[in-house]
Amino acid sequence: MADEKTARLPRVGGRLDSLAPWALALGALLAIAGFVLNFTVAPLVNGATVAEPAVIGGTLVGNKLLLSQKIFYWHMPVAMASFAALVFTAYYSIRFLMTKEYRYDVRAKLATETSLVFVLCTMATGEMWTRFEWGVWWTWEPRLTTYFVLMLMIFGYFILRNAVEDTERRAVYSSVFGILIFIDVPICFMITRLIPSSVHPVIFRTDSGLSPEMLLPLLLSLFGFLLIAFGLYRLRLRVQLMEDALVRIQDKLED
Amino acid sequence: MDPILAEIYSTVFDAAPFVIAAYALLFAILCGYVVFIMGKLKRTEKKLAALEEHVDEQE
Repeated sequence: MADEKTARLPRVGGRLDSLAPWALALGALLAIAGFVLNFTVAPLVNGATVAEPAVIGGTLVGNKLLLSQKIFYWHMPVAMASFAALVFTAYYSIRFLMTKEYRYDVRAKLATETSLVFVLCTMATGEMWTRFEWGVWWTWEPRLTTYFVLMLMIFGYFILRNAVEDTERRAVYSSVFGILIFIDVPICFMITRLIPSSVHPVIFRTDSGLSPEMLLPLLLSLFGFLLIAFGLYRLRLRVQLMEDALVRIQDKLED
Repeated sequence: MDPILAEIYSTVFDAAPFVIAAYALLFAILCGYVVFIMGKLKRTEKKLAALEEHVDEQE
């Protein structure tokens, strides 16, 4: 019985923990490779038509070239990383509601925290693009609005956690709320298909509309940021489990 | 500069600060989170060391 209980306790220094630094390092390398290829290999996209075309590097160019689109190569991957983290929030929230084991609540909280970091990255990069292209800091475009709602819900999740003192009730409420946040993920993802917008193109389709020179840095950055998200989550989890273990030892000593 | 080329590249220099800011902000947010985690780790290690000292004293 005691062994079963020990096995159920959160563990520090497992196989996934040893993978975390490697995931972070590989993720950083891939993201950097994506960044370099973005500015060296991926061509600038076309904007408005110019009065007269010109030949640049052997290619006839008849449009203004847009540098602002370069933001997209890290903007979309960090948005995907935020979605991926919320998938784990929902998974661990469901697992908690099924088992009532505290470890799942901890994992759900930290997955949401990781997601928040990437949501902020997405918002910051998106804002820079919006400010330059439209000359405004914010507009109620469908994808922006659904993603803003997602961010508010994540803030709400942490406010809820801080508002409820009872551990059991806090875990139950935040698990339910975590699942509710996740419901917004497919809405955010699908909104460009449901309400087509010229701002957010549909990338995940048979023909992404991107040339191989553009797709390669995007995919490298995407896998890079997914690995970085995993690495950060595991690192944060390790610290949290150490803190919890420390509190348990202190409580035992006080008893 | 050729006026046609100037028109083609007209938005590039204006966009550069926003592109740099976007990448810098993203980098700063991620670095901030790493610093937050490392700070927590340092505090936990300190508490652990203090606890170890306390246990040693009791023995």
